[in-house]
Amino acid sequence: MAPKTLAWLLVPALGLGELFSAMYLSSRPPKLEDWSRAAPALAAMRKQHELVVIAPDWADPNARYAFGDALMPLADVARPDESRYARAIEVSILGADAPELRGWPVVDERHSGKFRFRLVENPAPAKVLYDFVDHIADADVFDAQGGHEGHCSWNKAARREAGGLHGDPAYPSQRWECAGGAWHFVGATVVEDEKWRGRRCLWSEPGAGYVGVRFHDVPLGKVVRGYATLPWWIERELKGAPVDMKVLIGGDVALHYVHRDGDGWKPFSAPTGAHAGTRTDVEFQVSSVRPRERQFCFQADTR
Amino acid sequence: MKPSSLRGKVFDAFVAVLLGAGYVALLLCTVKNLGYARDEGFYFRAASEYKKWFDVLFTDPARALDQSSVDAYWRENHEHPAFVKSLFALSFKFLNVQWHVFQEAGTAFRFPGMVLSSLGVSVTYLWGRREIGRLAGFVAALLLAMQPAMFYHSHLACFDVAVMSMWLVTTYAYSRSLEGGIGWAVVTGILYGLELDTKHNAWLLPPALILHFLATRGLRLLRRDLRSGRTRMPLALFTMATIGPVVFYLCWPWIWFDTGHRLSAYIAFHTNHEYYNIEFLGTTYFRPPMPHLYAWVMTAATVPTITLSCFLLGLVKSGIDFPYWRAKRSLPLAEHDALEASWSTRSLWLLCLLTSYAPWWSADTPIFGGTKHWITAYPFMCLFAGVGFQWTRERLKTLAPAALRRANVPDAALAASVIAGPVFMTLHAHPWGLAAYVPLVGGETGGASLGLNRSFWGYTTGAVQDFLNAHAPPHAEVYIHDTAYDSWIRMVRDGRLRSDLSGTLTLSASNVSLFHDEQHMVRVEYQLWVDYGTVRPATVGVYDGVPIVWVYLRPPLPLPIH
Repeated sequence: MAPKTLAWLLVPALGLGELFSAMYLSSRPPKLEDWSRAAPALAAMRKQHELVVIAPDWADPNARYAFGDALMPLADVARPDESRYARAIEVSILGADAPELRGWPVVDERHSGKFRFRLVENPAPAKVLYDFVDHIADADVFDAQGGHEGHCSWNKAARREAGGLHGDPAYPSQRWECAGGAWHFVGATVVEDEKWRGRRCLWSEPGAGYVGVRFHDVPLGKVVRGYATLPWWIERELKGAPVDMKVLIGGDVALHYVHRDGDGWKPFSAPTGAHAGTRTDVEFQVSSVRPRERQFCFQADTR
Repeated sequence: MKPSSLRGKVFDAFVAVLLGAGYVALLLCTVKNLGYARDEGFYFRAASEYKKWFDVLFTDPARALDQSSVDAYWRENHEHPAFVKSLFALSFKFLNVQWHVFQEAGTAFRFPGMVLSSLGVSVTYLWGRREIGRLAGFVAALLLAMQPAMFYHSHLACFDVAVMSMWLVTTYAYSRSLEGGIGWAVVTGILYGLELDTKHNAWLLPPALILHFLATRGLRLLRRDLRSGRTRMPLALFTMATIGPVVFYLCWPWIWFDTGHRLSAYIAFHTNHEYYNIEFLGTTYFRPPMPHLYAWVMTAATVPTITLSCFLLGLVKSGIDFPYWRAKRSLPLAEHDALEASWSTRSLWLLCLLTSYAPWWSADTPIFGGTKHWITAYPFMCLFAGVGFQWTRERLKTLAPAALRRANVPDAALAASVIAGPVFMTLHAHPWGLAAYVPLVGGETGGASLGLNRSFWGYTTGAVQDFLNAHAPPHAEVYIHDTAYDSWIRMVRDGRLRSDLSGTLTLSASNVSLFHDEQHMVRVEYQLWVDYGTVRPATVGVYDGVPIVWVYLRPPLPLPIH
């Protein structure tokens, strides 16, 4: 038989190959019930509030459905980064790896059905002394205009609002409410960054002056460190004015941070200098020359 | 290849009807859990208005033809012409309201779209039968029908598959008109008018046909035409230019009055269409420049690879059969004439295919509709696939023993091997048609990992309707996210959703929330996390493990976020 003729068998072979590939590929991933069945194994492995990371990341909703808020709390899911976590558990399907945990040594690895659980250790975990987002209820918030500080008031049961696709991020039910409109508050919400990842942060949209968020008696390490962004929905337009944020430690300006549209989830770090190892006030002052739609949101901690 | 005997013609007509009826039956069997897509909601509303006009027309024609009536009823959704929406309206009027053939109004609205998509499948068979052969035509038709995206769009009360079919049947009629006589030319003109009245893709057909005329007329004759200032244009081009606009005008009452202004507005709407966003390879594009590779990569990622492979083989075979190669010119006259006729048809197919893709050579062309925007190319792609299939069939014929050949076993086996994959993928993909990706890119999970769009139009609400009915609290307010309000209302009225459930677009007012996956939509999910105080969906609609739509239930007590 001529090899040329035999080569035509590639056509039916390709057809059948595609059929069996499609069948195989559709049977490979775990079903939703499999995710639920994997929850006890994860719970048994998670002993020290380890960060749970899903690989590939598109499977995250399945994991949140199965593992719930206890194993995947909002603060972890919408974390600023992984640096504060000493250990993490990577829950992997289809042999995927979580890029954010690359380089973390594997301490333990288990397999259960279609899942691989890897306990990994952060080679250089940061010790967070104080998380400003977690302590927002303890802060003082004021709206400064023309040399006058108008104090904002803490509302434990504010009216929730969420703008939908084209609107503002969610206004949390607990927030510091300032004069001038529902949008003018400071509180913890979640916004999307330039990679559409959710980031939990303190909404601090400035008005005509600046919004001040003052935390008292904050235990300090070597730096006040964090990230800031505007919702990418707004930032991607590249039309807004820059947002300025001053970080004052013990009354001294330790950092003047400028956020421009397009910067995305941008890190900042303010050295504490002589205040390192002490407790003092830390204040964030947020302003913009054109504050319209400057939905500034920052996360910070001391370490 | 043309069926010469009456018996052959009857048989082919029977097969064509069987294919079409079978496809409609399959679509009807699978319509229940396919939620109403965003745009369908708008067309339901428009068709409901048009139905009222038809009610008036059948009772008081003079009043119906009055401008005040036309303006009152046809203003709705006047950015799109009326032919297909009129069919939706008439189907609603007769098959649901009057005769109760369909219990769901939504299915009645959808039925004309299903019939038109089936018409495309049937005509693909008939044309393939004429040009390539019965089995190859059959395979071509099935390869068209059995594509996950095509199957999804075929269910809908929308225009995309409708215009695909109208383009195909118009071109088929045009091709037949080239054989002579006036009948097919007149039919072509009428069909083109209806195509114009279906969707603006029709604007691209005349350039394809003119190019075809130039390509097939040949240089020598074109030179002579130019010298003499006269040419023998196909009669159908003339009927398309004359009958077509008349049919277009007659079938769209909105333009009966204030015609110039309304037509200008219609053209302006589509030539200045706003950009919606869509994800491609992990990036959401909001505005130009759009990625040049979009159409090609999405075609490769969503059309079964065996279909594309047969298509490429068909292109190669058509190239080999080009009648003006030196080797072909020395063929006996009859054989050469047959090659010329075949070249004429295949060049027409190729030009229709290329014209359908042509807008996506420009980085300014919107890409938000995914593959549906160039779906008019697919019947021609499948006809070429039929050519590729036929070529393979001829080459493999000699491999099988004569006894098997006599029983047509090799043919059946080859056809089965080509069709099986697309059939499996298409049926398996339901009701997630827009999320379906072929094994070439790793299937659904591969598509998700590559960052290819998994859904748009919020149609996957249908996939979680049972959960909503079972788990939503009584009188729940459901945040409907990307589902259009009209689509939601239709699901409730059709009994797909509990009548006590209210749709809302105010997230904070809701106690149940839908989330339809799209990259840029995640900001809505983040709002949900804060507003509901949980990151845990109550259920997830998954397709081969890939989450497509999920539902949140507000916890009984609002939790502070920490």
